[in-house]
Amino acid sequence: MRMTTKQANSEQLAASFRDPSGFLFSRDGVLYRQVNRAYEQEYRRLIESGLYEKLVKAGLLIPHTEVDPFPARGDEAFRVIRPERVPFISYPYEWSFGQLKDAALATLSIQRRALKAGMSLKDASAYNIQFVLGKPTLIDTLSFESYREGQPWVAYRQFCQHFLAPLALMALRDIRLNQLLRVYIDGVPLDLASELLPWSTRFNFGLLTHIHLHAKAQKKYAGQDVKSRGSATFSKQAMTGLIDSLDAAIRKLNQDPGGTEWGNYYDITNYSDAAFEHKKQLVGAWVKQVNPGLIWDLGANTGVFSRVASSSGSFVVSFDIDPAAVEQNYRQAKKEKSENLLPLLLDLTNPSPSLGWANRERDSFALRGPADLVLALALIHHLAISNNVPLPQLSGFLAETGKWLVIEFVPKSDSQVQRLLASREDIFPDYTREGFEAAFSRRFRIDSAVNVHESERVLYLMEGK
Amino acid sequence: MHFAPLPYLDPGSGSFLIQLLIAALLGIGVAVRASWSRIKGWFGIKPKTDEDDDETSK
Repeated sequence: MRMTTKQANSEQLAASFRDPSGFLFSRDGVLYRQVNRAYEQEYRRLIESGLYEKLVKAGLLIPHTEVDPFPARGDEAFRVIRPERVPFISYPYEWSFGQLKDAALATLSIQRRALKAGMSLKDASAYNIQFVLGKPTLIDTLSFESYREGQPWVAYRQFCQHFLAPLALMALRDIRLNQLLRVYIDGVPLDLASELLPWSTRFNFGLLTHIHLHAKAQKKYAGQDVKSRGSATFSKQAMTGLIDSLDAAIRKLNQDPGGTEWGNYYDITNYSDAAFEHKKQLVGAWVKQVNPGLIWDLGANTGVFSRVASSSGSFVVSFDIDPAAVEQNYRQAKKEKSENLLPLLLDLTNPSPSLGWANRERDSFALRGPADLVLALALIHHLAISNNVPLPQLSGFLAETGKWLVIEFVPKSDSQVQRLLASREDIFPDYTREGFEAAFSRRFRIDSAVNVHESERVLYLMEGK
Repeated sequence: MHFAPLPYLDPGSGSFLIQLLIAALLGIGVAVRASWSRIKGWFGIKPKTDEDDDETSK
């Protein structure tokens, strides 16, 4: 988190400005959250009602410790807490369908527990959820307010925009529509979702009410003062019904990760078992040698090598461009109860940019780095040949992305490269082992280079200069 | 309707009103289910386990 605003000897995080209850700041590299006096009663209630403990125990809320008060803005401060650090911040437009679905269900589960404790979520932003120990976890401790009988759910619209609408679009229209979240920072506008969803979704009670009718009501009553309308109130039973209904609508949405670009990649590679094993063994040994805290596996597919890398305890972010591969990776990580592997969706040719207010609310891919070690296995030909990136540029990019690099050179004679060149002119005279080593030696010191058994490929371990 | 302290998020007028409509429909459902499980209770059929113990997704 480098993007911060100088404030009274501490750094307030640029993403944390909307809620008057408090804000995040960092000091000496440690992340703190100031709880403002305006939030004192709600904070006490969260702790004293036992809700905090219950949620933390269930892995639904980030644990924190209260620290000696040295607030960033003293006049407004009630308390300062230090939340446990999240190993890697990710965003909903980088999540697979299953990740967004689990984040949605976690949010509803938190709301249910909050209601039992006499509290309610005052926001339901997907950005408040992060994957911690492999599970979706609320990271904003100040998201709770006292539940007031008779009140509708303040965060209902946000929940529909951040979760239900994109999930429905992904499941029922096209998986790639998750990218709408990158355009609309406060979630998919419901009128847009309503327009894009198949007409048949009007026969689905959940989608009919929470999206189609919801969008119509928004349009009809936009800007009207509803506070004075009628005497209807929203009972607790109604609130429970609403949450159950959202839960049912979300659970009904499913997405089958079969059949996109890479879904069955490992069945179509030209690797022999011996080559595959050799590659695994080299990656495992080098990860142990470098002993990195944070690994980024770029082009991870379903995460076979991410798993090899994570087995020695490093935290591995496993990026791939294919939603089906990321989904399979996530499902497997979930099944294995993996705590240090995070599959994410990323197009390396156009990585996540900095987004939001003043371009400082959501950090770009680059700003969340560099990683201690980058894995770039069976990747280079896709960037250098399919995307025409010159090798020196590739070397420069990877040097800024990680301190150490494990990279596989795939020569032109390899059938996978031949496949990429089949339909186009070969305009890559420098794409040779010598050209590759020359380009990467500019930014890296080559530590090892090993020919992979039964293959023409070469695996390198390099350290940034 | 009386809406006490203003929230920091704008809940949206339409989003508030649609909840009342949905609540009217669902409130009936919840009430029916509640009494149905009470009726089942008379016959010794236990309700399902608490949602809180569930995994977030299956």
